[in-house]
Amino acid sequence: MTTLPLALRHGLAVDFALLVISFKRRAAYRTQWLVGSLVSGTELLTALALWSAVLAERGQVGGYDWDAMRTYYVIAFVTAAVAFGGTEGIAAQRILDGMVAIDLLKPVDFQRARAAEYTGSILGNLPTLGIGLTVSALFLDPLPPASFAAGALSVASVLLIIPLAFGLMFLSIMLCFWTRSYHGVLWSRRTITAFFSGAMIPLALMPDAVQAVAAWLPFVHITTTPSNIYLGRVDTMEAIGLVALEVAWCVALWLLGRVLWSRAVKVVTVHGG
Amino acid sequence: MAASATHAAGVYRRSIGAYLRSIAEYPADFWVMAIAGSFWQIVLFSFLSILFANVTAIAGWDYHEMLVLAGFLAVSWSSTALLWDGIWETGRMIVQGDMDYRLTRPAPVLIQVGSNHVGFQVFGDVAVGLVMITIGWTGAGLGLAAVPIGLYLLLCAAVIQASLLTIANATNFWIKGRTPVIAFMLTELQNEAMRFPLTVFPTAVRITLTFGLPLAFASFVPVQILTGRLDPAWLAAPPIAAAATAALAVWIFKMGVKAYDSSGH
Repeated sequence: MTTLPLALRHGLAVDFALLVISFKRRAAYRTQWLVGSLVSGTELLTALALWSAVLAERGQVGGYDWDAMRTYYVIAFVTAAVAFGGTEGIAAQRILDGMVAIDLLKPVDFQRARAAEYTGSILGNLPTLGIGLTVSALFLDPLPPASFAAGALSVASVLLIIPLAFGLMFLSIMLCFWTRSYHGVLWSRRTITAFFSGAMIPLALMPDAVQAVAAWLPFVHITTTPSNIYLGRVDTMEAIGLVALEVAWCVALWLLGRVLWSRAVKVVTVHGG
Repeated sequence: MAASATHAAGVYRRSIGAYLRSIAEYPADFWVMAIAGSFWQIVLFSFLSILFANVTAIAGWDYHEMLVLAGFLAVSWSSTALLWDGIWETGRMIVQGDMDYRLTRPAPVLIQVGSNHVGFQVFGDVAVGLVMITIGWTGAGLGLAAVPIGLYLLLCAAVIQASLLTIANATNFWIKGRTPVIAFMLTELQNEAMRFPLTVFPTAVRITLTFGLPLAFASFVPVQILTGRLDPAWLAAPPIAAAATAALAVWIFKMGVKAYDSSGH
């Protein structure tokens, strides 16, 4: 650490401080993560009730039998906890109420600071993930990964959801520079993400045209990529390619966010007071 | 009694009217919210279409019957966003001391809170919901003669939804915090569990969602009546459920106001 340049060390220290503050803020609201756990649990159990009824008659759908479908939705639960578990309202509210003008005065990069806060809030969501995974392991008997490589690459894919989800979130909060309410933007993004990621229904069941479109969108890496790798629906080389594509999306969304920020900040009007 | 009801209706009409007029002032927000509302219903519509491209029935319910169920739920739930969206502000008003202002005004507190806001997403929600009902209704062969019964059941469902939402938000009088956590859970239950026939769930869940928390009377039971799965004698049940939940909602909200401690702002 001492060999790092001072500016870099200072930057990392700021990132870490923001991450810890955000984590503590999230962890302080115990009711919220309790509710988050119940909500995520409801989604998981509802999906399982539906597919249990369907697969009892059909045996398998889209290449998923009951064991694979059960495992798919446990993975979807994990990826949703990561992708939707971050706090974003505070950053959006600062833009809406003009407090972003204060952020412009601070000697920290706005996008990087929000990324640190977002990561901290996702880590604050770990209790939800822990409860869900423990209950799933005890009662739902998910399948093990198809191979060691599949297990390792699916974990890498899940971890990459953090920068990917941040990139999508940052683009949507930039819209607050032009609209007065963030709720509509938030709901739209979450709905589109849930659908095109495969969290609502596996992409393999969708028409070919929709699958083709989804494959070229970033959302697909939020549920379909890790689950396809974990369940062995793609071989190791394809899995490496998918993870590389996910990394490329993270970089592309970060750069796009930078471009939008540099334009959006020019529309800020500070009234003083 | 009649005079106070007229007064309450007048307050409600003026309050909602003022908010509806404000739509014209924020056209971008209106369109963002309306489109956001339609997104969820379009995705739900797509979900059902994709599902039924792979299966023929779920727990004995075919595609068109499922569309009627999803559409009925969308329209009944969305009606609260148009007519009673302000109730979501209860928790915030308690924490910020806004409730003090409502208490000092010469108008029913519950009416003031409920009519305080209109959820613009309702326009997208209802539009796609009605499309789903129409396609499902036609495909399931329900016919025009069933439309008056459908409207009657929809009215009862809207009252039940608004009442349950009032009860859920009123819990914030006791659970301190601006976030309406119980109301969020209620919404989640609606969006997730109630869009499927309750018959896919274990018996205990079915009984709880029908008689414990009467959500079933706002979607599953009415659609079962419409599709002929339940005896027409069940037509008497939704208004009883609506009256009971409405009375309970008013009583719980009044208890909440009595228990309210001003935050001192």
